[in-house]
Amino acid sequence: MIDALLQALVEVLRWDALSFMLIGIALGFWVGLLPGLGGGTTLALMLPFVYRMEPVQAFAFLLGMHAVVATTGDITSILFGIPGEGTTAATILDGYAMSKKGQAGRALGASLMSSLVGAIVGALALLAAIPVVRPLVLAFGSPELFMLAILGIAFIATLSARGGRGMLRGFLAGCLGLFFAAVGPDPQSGHLRYTLGTLYLWEGLDLVPVLVGFFAIPEIIDLAVRGTAIAGRAHVGPLGGVLEGVKDTFRHFWLTIRCSLIGAYIGVIPGLGGGVAQWIAYAHSTQSAKTPREREGFGQGDVRGVLGPGAANNSKEGGALIPTVAFGVPGSSAMAILLGGFLLVGLTPGPEMLTRHLDVTLSMVWTIVLANIITVAASLAFLNQLARLTAVRGSILIPFLVVLTFLGSYTNNNNLGDIVVMLTFGALGYAMVRFRWPRAPLVLGLVLGNIAERYLWISVARYGAAWLTRPIVLLLLALAAGVVVSALLQLRRGEKPVEAEAVGAG
Amino acid sequence: MKAISGLLLVISLLVAAPAMGQQAAPSFAGRTVTLVVGYNPGGGYDQIARIIARYLPKYLPGNPTVVVQNMPGANSITAANHVYGARPDGLTLGAFNRNLILGQLVKVPAIRFDMSKFAWIGSPATETTILAIRADLPYRTPADLVSAREALVVGATGPGASTYDFPLLLKALAKFNLRIISGYPSSGDIMLAIERKEVDGRAGSYSSIKPFIDRGLVRAVVRSRASVAAIAQLPTDESLVSDARAKAVMNLRAVPEQLGRPYLLPPGTPAAIVRAYWDAFTKITQDREFLAEAERAGFEIEYTRGDEAQKIVQSVLNSPPDVVKIFQQFFSFN
Repeated sequence: MIDALLQALVEVLRWDALSFMLIGIALGFWVGLLPGLGGGTTLALMLPFVYRMEPVQAFAFLLGMHAVVATTGDITSILFGIPGEGTTAATILDGYAMSKKGQAGRALGASLMSSLVGAIVGALALLAAIPVVRPLVLAFGSPELFMLAILGIAFIATLSARGGRGMLRGFLAGCLGLFFAAVGPDPQSGHLRYTLGTLYLWEGLDLVPVLVGFFAIPEIIDLAVRGTAIAGRAHVGPLGGVLEGVKDTFRHFWLTIRCSLIGAYIGVIPGLGGGVAQWIAYAHSTQSAKTPREREGFGQGDVRGVLGPGAANNSKEGGALIPTVAFGVPGSSAMAILLGGFLLVGLTPGPEMLTRHLDVTLSMVWTIVLANIITVAASLAFLNQLARLTAVRGSILIPFLVVLTFLGSYTNNNNLGDIVVMLTFGALGYAMVRFRWPRAPLVLGLVLGNIAERYLWISVARYGAAWLTRPIVLLLLALAAGVVVSALLQLRRGEKPVEAEAVGAG
Repeated sequence: MKAISGLLLVISLLVAAPAMGQQAAPSFAGRTVTLVVGYNPGGGYDQIARIIARYLPKYLPGNPTVVVQNMPGANSITAANHVYGARPDGLTLGAFNRNLILGQLVKVPAIRFDMSKFAWIGSPATETTILAIRADLPYRTPADLVSAREALVVGATGPGASTYDFPLLLKALAKFNLRIISGYPSSGDIMLAIERKEVDGRAGSYSSIKPFIDRGLVRAVVRSRASVAAIAQLPTDESLVSDARAKAVMNLRAVPEQLGRPYLLPPGTPAAIVRAYWDAFTKITQDREFLAEAERAGFEIEYTRGDEAQKIVQSVLNSPPDVVKIFQQFFSFN
């Protein structure tokens, strides 16, 4: 194993593989920064270029590109409140709030460092999973996937505002999210629901325009209303800000590790989708608050709210590679495209990837780690300059942000419907911020609704009621109950229930 | 990238406005051809379109620039509606869902085009559907599946996909003892469900199941009409039913697979331009490099030329009403 690992490292460090990786990283860097242009789409566009490459070169290129997208996506989320990627929206809640307090540098440092930790943990998870990958993935059938979705939905309790009223609002926002998830064909028979007679909604709501509108529009309006820079009148942190963020990662090291593991684990399980990990990790971060007062800091710029999703959205890639490599079943949409890359270079994913082609698999582990180290090192060099953008007057930034928001939504489907969805969710998002309703539960409902519905149906159709007694189902049910109870206890722990304050709402 | 291709489309429409159709021998020199794909990047339709887009310039007269524009939505109805109304100058062509023809047959309201009126370039590839079951099960032949004491659980995505429609007809018309469970997000997820024995088998394209047959996880039992050499000896679904109408219904379902990757020009495209595309596609599908690439990507290259394709389309649309009526009970386009 050690030999194979070293040999794979040598292969990745060969000049040709390394230069392809650098090209990939350069591409991924920009793809991550630009909202709307997603990692998956870009992978598909780059696929034709790998025909003539060797496997190690091809994966250095594709994976190098993909591995850094989530890392740089966080940068846009933090600086402007616009999700750079669909998978980096959760970073906005506290990351952008920190920018508004003049701590953009610190938030960027924290997100980059946690991304790096996440990437490494994800790669290690991939490595560690190699011998046990079959039971690990096969233990999760449809009933377990359904319960995982329920566990995720239970985190709404954690993401809701405090107090009875806050809980109620969180719950209702979650329901609204579940409702939005129902738009489009029902997963079982394909009947169209709530499409308003349009073709655009035939395939359901696209997450990217929803997230871009939901998070970016309220912030742009807020910026316009305040008439100041993003960081307001706050002094934009001294040059040490970035370093402070890096230190934060190690101050809350166990939280970062735990969120990395959450991300890797969600990545391993095909069918949950890349958008879920960040929100669960964010919810878990808020659980680390010890007092109600501390809990209220989340959404107002608590660095832990940056560390959690930052770590998880990177570690999930290593995790998602596991089923892709071992079963030929992609763990995420980006991985589905990467799978096409496997076939193009003449590799058949499957058990052989863990024996005969182990070197290729291990070269992927190295690519993820190296690509992230290079990106983080390169980014650290000019983060302080980036952070200064938050001191630029809002009136100068706003036109630029608006263009970014519109383009980011539109490039997704090239359909005017994207713009309508973006603006609609922008209005909804603004109303929710204005009236102090938490937004995170809605997103959680939206990303999990379809999964829950789909797998509940399959579980019942396949097993009747018998699936309810499966051990992992019971375990997950207990965990979900634990999440809700702990949120209620956290509520009680305060001297007196604080009147509903929207937290986690950003 | 997409924004650029959109921009190129606009520019090409402006620049190329004087229709080139009037000329006897069309030349695309200096022009930009837009290939509109009805799906997002990443899927099979997009993948083969991007390969073809790289070979088209070589074989179209005048060596134009070819850009791919993704126009996803409503299972490519959006894109087909768009191309149907595009200027018939040979500078816009579309690659759509193979099932659109069946969608028109069952009268999906959103369809604003007539498949028989498009100028068909044809289909460069076929798609063979098979039913594969877990190799550790005792069943080997179709007869075993008819007499199976306990229903075989077949995983599926949903109606309108071969994972669902193929076993549905086998169950209803050939009396296979199957229990179809739909709702899986993709065929990959069904494969995983097979691995963990949640389901016993699945239907789908031969090319996507082949790696799992080679690995010994599943074995193929039945195939549909379109075929490739490796599985030619498998019984077809149509051979398992005796009733003529049942055969006709199965045939209807299978027609789009013969025209697995339809490429179309707007109605009214001048014959000379259509012929130029026929020639280009004929040459592309004989190009050795192209064949090697397409094979690695898992496509079954077999060019059905536009005139032939149009005949097939016409025969589908002329199906007897009683056959269409039965077909409608099984098929829904989504």
